[in-house]
Amino acid sequence: MTEPSVISALPDPSVNGAAMNGAVPVAIGRAKRSPRSAASRLAREPGAIIGGGIVLFFVMLALFAPVIAPYDPIASDWGAVRLPPDLAHPFGTDDLGRDILSRVIFGARASLSAGFVSVVIAVLIGVPLGLVAGYFGGVTDIAISRCADAVLACPFLVLAIALAAFLGPSLENTMIAIGVSAIPIFVRLARGQTLAVREEDYISAVISQGVSHPKILFAHVLPNVMPPILVQATLTTAIAVLAEASLAFLGLGQLPPAPSWGSMLDAARQFLLDAPWMAVSPGLAIVIVVIGFNLIGDALNDVLNPRT
Amino acid sequence: MQLASLRKYPSPAAIVLATSMLVGGILAGTLLASAEAATLRVAIQDDPDALDPATSGTYTGRFVFAAMCDKLVDIGKDLAIVPQLAESWQWSADQKALTFTLRHGVTFQDGEPFDAAAVKFNIERMQTMKDSRRKAELSPVAGVEVLAPDQVRFDLKTPFAPLLSVLSDRAGMMVSPKAAAKEDFAAHPVCAGPYAFVERKARDVIRLAKYQGYWDKEHFGYDEVAYFYVPDSTVRLSRVRAGDLDIAERIAPTDLKTVRDDQKLKLYVSPGLAVSHLMVNVGAGEKANTPLGKDARLRKAFELSIDRNVINRVAFNGENTPDNQMIPPSDPYHAKGYPMPGREIAAAKAMIAQTGMSTVPVELTFENSLTDARVAQIVQSMVKEAGFDVKLLPLETSTAIERYLNGNFEMYIANWSGRGDPDPTLYPFFSCEGGQNVNKYCNKDLETVLDAARAESDVQKRKELYEKATGIYLTDLSSIPLYHPNWFFASSAKVEGITVLPDGLLRLRDVRPVQ
Repeated sequence: MTEPSVISALPDPSVNGAAMNGAVPVAIGRAKRSPRSAASRLAREPGAIIGGGIVLFFVMLALFAPVIAPYDPIASDWGAVRLPPDLAHPFGTDDLGRDILSRVIFGARASLSAGFVSVVIAVLIGVPLGLVAGYFGGVTDIAISRCADAVLACPFLVLAIALAAFLGPSLENTMIAIGVSAIPIFVRLARGQTLAVREEDYISAVISQGVSHPKILFAHVLPNVMPPILVQATLTTAIAVLAEASLAFLGLGQLPPAPSWGSMLDAARQFLLDAPWMAVSPGLAIVIVVIGFNLIGDALNDVLNPRT
Repeated sequence: MQLASLRKYPSPAAIVLATSMLVGGILAGTLLASAEAATLRVAIQDDPDALDPATSGTYTGRFVFAAMCDKLVDIGKDLAIVPQLAESWQWSADQKALTFTLRHGVTFQDGEPFDAAAVKFNIERMQTMKDSRRKAELSPVAGVEVLAPDQVRFDLKTPFAPLLSVLSDRAGMMVSPKAAAKEDFAAHPVCAGPYAFVERKARDVIRLAKYQGYWDKEHFGYDEVAYFYVPDSTVRLSRVRAGDLDIAERIAPTDLKTVRDDQKLKLYVSPGLAVSHLMVNVGAGEKANTPLGKDARLRKAFELSIDRNVINRVAFNGENTPDNQMIPPSDPYHAKGYPMPGREIAAAKAMIAQTGMSTVPVELTFENSLTDARVAQIVQSMVKEAGFDVKLLPLETSTAIERYLNGNFEMYIANWSGRGDPDPTLYPFFSCEGGQNVNKYCNKDLETVLDAARAESDVQKRKELYEKATGIYLTDLSSIPLYHPNWFFASSAKVEGITVLPDGLLRLRDVRPVQ
């Protein structure tokens, strides 16, 4: 599951290739017009509708967990340990007599917040670095790019595990670990896009007008590099959700007894033969959410990629 | 197109390759099966450290030594000391000298004779070797005197009753003086046991072969023994079920039903000597400065809000032994006068109220294993009702152990392997300067009793002293014992004669294939 996702986390070669070949990027006027037309085209993509529906569903679960969940996710019933699914506990109970349905619902909080927050961290740090590297070039570019390459040389999950182990187990640290590990993805992507945009006539025009560098970067370059970054951010969210589950599975995420899908799978591992229902629902939840984000990402890519 | 067609239809080359591998595998399997007919294949949970009794520090190391290195004395049923390399022994009247009469006709696996000089050599080696881990265990020994080729006397600094128990473990294992003179002894260990070292592949397998010069070799039914490193308990069990291995140690309590239900398997259970306890920091650094660390009443309230039977049932399918003492009930020194209290939430609440508190915060640190994590969550959930607000802090093993050793915790789930004698458990934890006293508990009255018990060789009097000691440490409650893990071994039904004693080692005497 992880491998293909990690590969897709690398900057989309088609996008980069287009930039290198000097293909026509998003023009200034089009950047202003595109959101509305993109939104309407997105609404017609079946992938976007299904993916959006899935993500929305889980976001709602996470937001209204205390209302929706039938039980307290950390309350143990010692008389109801590892019960198979029935009417009282539709998803069964776990090794400590807790309702699995309630834990899956509350677990959505850990998964989604880790997914969103870590990608926001990665984007907020990675994109400006990539913009600066691509726009100024020279020594700045070399310094930033080589650092990003060095971090990229370490496999994403390994880096996240090392960081999480170093920071100590907690949900916040998991977010930081995943976010920091994902920074170079955005540095590379933003840099590649900026390199292409920088050569455009309209950038030369604003430079000749004496507009300051920060203003050029954020008002003129950034909007034109945003579409592929948006696609990448959506796909990275899927990876981040998976990474959170992996870290929790290794005991590096959410502190017990608060539920996380990854730690639920970890606990279920010992009872795969006796109590398979313990593994099924958190496992399915992870799969569905990751598919949801990937569907949105693919649909966004289809809509925003100027070549299609 | 090309790729897609390849995926759907394997090429002829691939089919030929797969078939040849299959046939080759079957052939090789048949050959191996006939060649290794009398090999006992054992699955062990950890890869042992150095195979030298002087420097070894792991349980699985002892597991291998049980087949390779005989000891001066052994542990029998009920933890009684029985002869092994020594046939008999005699304490002097002042309890400060112990004389062994050694077994005749014993040779090391390199053919060298085993005699009194070898015993003296071994004890001095373990006392002086740079990396020896036996120094503390042998510290009461002032010197070893050779009286005759078959007679050797241990002179003690002070009377030390647990000495025989110490010599029933690694400190009593005799290695060949000639082999020990070589630099890489641990890579080619030579002892005086029934099986001699053949080869070791790190993190894979350790192979031993029967020593033909062993004095008691008729009682050993296998020609070879191989110890395979298989860390996951479920995998160990699966491999025994599949017939790939013969014996698996430490089966998870949750897998026992599978073993019991399988006609092709046999289950061996023995009470263990180990204890899992909640250690409370009462005197080590800043983390001792907590309500629980300062007030024994709160610790008692904590104990009363736990139901040890529920912990055992939920976390271990009821297969371990819940208990309130450091020494297990199977040990003759278990204090009968202090039975395990039940869960009394009302009493616990009243005791908390006495101290003027309503919510008591506690931080519980533990090694991030499934077992301890489950126990921690059960404890957290149980004591909450009485008013304890437990925060869980699971840490990666080496970080956790480092904090444990430095006393950097408020409460810690400590797991102690236990010994055949109560002294090596109680003295390190409860004497003021004890090696395991990381929570810095100190009660001079208790120390006096423990010192007296150490010097007492009369079993009945020693029992009374340990009864008294138990009363003191259970009142101060610097540690709250929870349960004693039991030993669970699974074997193929084709192996017979296995007995598991409380020290949890696999003794191969009388173990043989079913005819």
